[in-house]
Amino acid sequence: MICTVCKYTPIELFAGFGEECSFLEEMPASLDRAEAASHANLCGFGKALIEEALSGQVEQMVLVNCCDVMRRCHDVVAAEAACDRLFLMDLPHTCGPCQVTSLARSLKQLRDEYREATGIEFDLKTCQAAFETREADPGTYVAILGARAGKQLEDAVRNAFGLAVRNLTCTGTRSLSMPGQALLTDDEDEFFEAYAQALLAQVPCMRMDDSVGRRALLEDPNLAGIVYHTMKFCDFYSVEYAEVASRAHVPVCKIESDFTAQSTEQLRTRVEAFAEALGFSDGLSGFAPSTSKETFGMTRETEAQGRYFAGIDSGSTSTDVVIVDGDGTIISTLIVPTGAGASKSSEACLASALEQAGLTREDLARVVTTGYGRAYIGEGDASVTEITCHAAGARHLDATVRTIIDIGGQDSKVISLDADGHVAKFVMNDKCAAGTGRFLEMMARALQISLDEMSETGLAWREDIAISSTCSVFAESEVVSLVAQNKDVDDIVHGLCESVAAKTSTLVKRAGGTGPYMMTGGVAANAGVVAAIERRLGQKLIVSDKAQLCGALGAALLARGNPS
Amino acid sequence: MDVVRTFGTIVSNTARTDADRARKLLLFGWKAQMLKLCAAPDKRLPKSRQYAAQVAMRKVLDVYADPSHAAAMSVFAPYEPLGAAGITPFSVEQISCWMAGSQAERFFLDAASDAGFTETMCSYHRTFLGACASGVLPRPAFAVYTSLACDGNLITFPWLGRTQDIPRFCIDVPYERSEQSVADVVAQLHGLVDFVGEQVGRPVSDEALRTTCERSWKSALAWRRFLAASPGRRLPADMTSEMYAFLMNHVVLGSPESERFCTMLADEMEGARRSEGLRIVWLHTMPFSQAPAIERLNFNDRVFITACDLASDPMLIDVDPADPYDAMARRLVYSCMNGPVQARIDRALDMVRRTQADGVIVFGHWGCKATLGASSLIAAGLEDAGVPCLALDGDGIDAVNRSDGQTATRLDAFIEQLEAGRRA
Repeated sequence: MICTVCKYTPIELFAGFGEECSFLEEMPASLDRAEAASHANLCGFGKALIEEALSGQVEQMVLVNCCDVMRRCHDVVAAEAACDRLFLMDLPHTCGPCQVTSLARSLKQLRDEYREATGIEFDLKTCQAAFETREADPGTYVAILGARAGKQLEDAVRNAFGLAVRNLTCTGTRSLSMPGQALLTDDEDEFFEAYAQALLAQVPCMRMDDSVGRRALLEDPNLAGIVYHTMKFCDFYSVEYAEVASRAHVPVCKIESDFTAQSTEQLRTRVEAFAEALGFSDGLSGFAPSTSKETFGMTRETEAQGRYFAGIDSGSTSTDVVIVDGDGTIISTLIVPTGAGASKSSEACLASALEQAGLTREDLARVVTTGYGRAYIGEGDASVTEITCHAAGARHLDATVRTIIDIGGQDSKVISLDADGHVAKFVMNDKCAAGTGRFLEMMARALQISLDEMSETGLAWREDIAISSTCSVFAESEVVSLVAQNKDVDDIVHGLCESVAAKTSTLVKRAGGTGPYMMTGGVAANAGVVAAIERRLGQKLIVSDKAQLCGALGAALLARGNPS
Repeated sequence: MDVVRTFGTIVSNTARTDADRARKLLLFGWKAQMLKLCAAPDKRLPKSRQYAAQVAMRKVLDVYADPSHAAAMSVFAPYEPLGAAGITPFSVEQISCWMAGSQAERFFLDAASDAGFTETMCSYHRTFLGACASGVLPRPAFAVYTSLACDGNLITFPWLGRTQDIPRFCIDVPYERSEQSVADVVAQLHGLVDFVGEQVGRPVSDEALRTTCERSWKSALAWRRFLAASPGRRLPADMTSEMYAFLMNHVVLGSPESERFCTMLADEMEGARRSEGLRIVWLHTMPFSQAPAIERLNFNDRVFITACDLASDPMLIDVDPADPYDAMARRLVYSCMNGPVQARIDRALDMVRRTQADGVIVFGHWGCKATLGASSLIAAGLEDAGVPCLALDGDGIDAVNRSDGQTATRLDAFIEQLEAGRRA
């Protein structure tokens, strides 16, 4: 078996040697060894490739010279002598006659190198017989486009939508159209020229000069939605997303990963929220995607009168519980630190909230969980993503809201609502802590002040200090150095608030957010950040006294709206 | 008041609503800078480097004054066909450096993000793309680029074609460093020369092309003389001047200006004062605007840069100037940026030998995967050859990706290491 990387790999060539190729699709749990051997700023796939090679499980690897990272992967794997046989096939950037000839020569060179390395003879007929035309399954499907998606991501999309999924990233669109004569000829020169032509005539990836052929991917009438995947430190696809989002006739959701298994959880949240917004709710315990207040009211009157409903938002920093009655009136709320276990915190928090309201577990008709820990909470009857819950909660708190800015401990999100209160679009920060509550927490620690003090401190600033680093680690050392320069703490905190606001306003732009804006999540309590975001948006933010409870409130309202 | 910072703020604020006006403001500011460079050049610099600063500024002014006779190019694309056709080239790195020098880069970086470019991409390319997307960079007549060295080019130039309908020509440089690859590139260069002729409305003359290539070769020979005279001497310089040399030896290599610059530089180095300071070979772009690097490496007799691979590499590849196509192709195929990382290690060792350097700094510019992914291998390769090497991460343009504290500590520790090595 030969480990390889993308659709430009000449897998039929290796069939001519009696060898099979498999694409590396597993998102690894750790990239530590790869980062030590290369650099953290390579894309996750490149690092996964190095990690796989260093595992000692790969005897043969064929790489394609398609980007800087692949070239460096080849250097690193060769230097580590991690595979018995390692090959690199040159791939042109353009597809003119010179490039076809050049690729045909590369194919023949690869054939010769493999023959020399293994002593196996190449059989042209076997190679020609390996070409196959695959017909796509008919029926509606969700496409994954963009940068290479790992197996776990593909599974997450399939589970969320309950539909067929086509992975149309680096491996999925492989389809070679070989002329019949080239599959019969004994002339190897003629065959390899046609082979090179067919490889370059595929639906191009974004590293090719002319990407117009990719538009065909958007025009299939069976396409129901697009999950557009970008990968940290792969720069080719981000810009295409903007073009796809404006051109596609179906909804598009952008997600970003670093190609590790750890990022699966965040990806799952986004994909499920997208499925909810589109009305595909398989795997989500049968919730309708509607978040409108009217829907909840109607359901209450018909089915849920006299009972209570709870929402549990299990976040990275705090666990929040809201209990509402059949009218949607808040009966009890509680916020506790999440601590070590999502499940344990949730149980304790729910029990305390019930006790506070003078209720028992039996008084609850339905419990909905949300937040990062939602899948691990035994208490819930169903779980819904925090995107949908925040939309429901915010809409309940103020029906005029069109954009929600939610900055929590671990992530920040911007959710844009349509006129009916449905989620129209949402974007989230990436895995990095920049622009989140965690960022402010780290900076408060560096300044030796509490988060409460930080909230007010920056309001009385005099000098406009720019914190240029949004990376939490770099920013921390920048803050320490500003303290060493005797800069005023007010001014430093102001700079930090501006830094969070800059990151947030970029998300607002990406989400196409418009006013009125509501801010939710724990950071809504930080007056400095709120003021800085208001300055950037040129509008006041609606900040409810229930801002931190918005996700749990939405979950409780959804529990009330859809009793089974 | 910090005049440049104020200028950058005004340009940025204007660009938000009026790209034409922002462009005129930049042109006004850069003309003022040109006057300063001519009337009151930095006296700490030798005449050759003062001249390079003036030429570099003049070329950017020419682009802004008459973009219809200008072409965007990737830095490794050959200048000769453009020069022979009377076209003014400008590179991604050149425009970005000027935006950063005007302290307006933040606006353009944000504009690139708004256009969809990821923040992990090279900031030189992002600044350039932001300038294009915002309309502040004038539309050139056409674009020429190569697949060599940087993915940023493979994103930037096709995007220019897709969104701004700019005619473009790409030279695919095969990965293999071989004579067959040279022949492949020669065939493509003939296509490039035809393309340039079509764009300007008249064929590029063979004679003009040959003359330009001969000047490239004379420049290369002068550069080699400059490096050969370097051991034991120091010609005062700053990182900005090193970046000018990078532009002179690529973007206008083959122009009368490049030949004059290299000749002046060699003459001045041969007459330069002797120095016992630490001698550094630098790999990749330079953090020319980052304070801790400036404090330690600019105009400092204790430690200074003797050569940079970006500026030196094209001058150290043997070519036959009588065969212009072969000469241009050879510079691309045998560039140290092409092929396995060993080529880069070999070039670094070559520069260490030529300039008798004490150590090497390989600068990991944030978005450059080609260098970042190779930096540990380069460091290991050099250290195996007995040459101390520091892998220094940072960003040439975007301050967000820098840590001043870390840069200062790493540079100081490396200087201490080299000084200890001298004492041993």
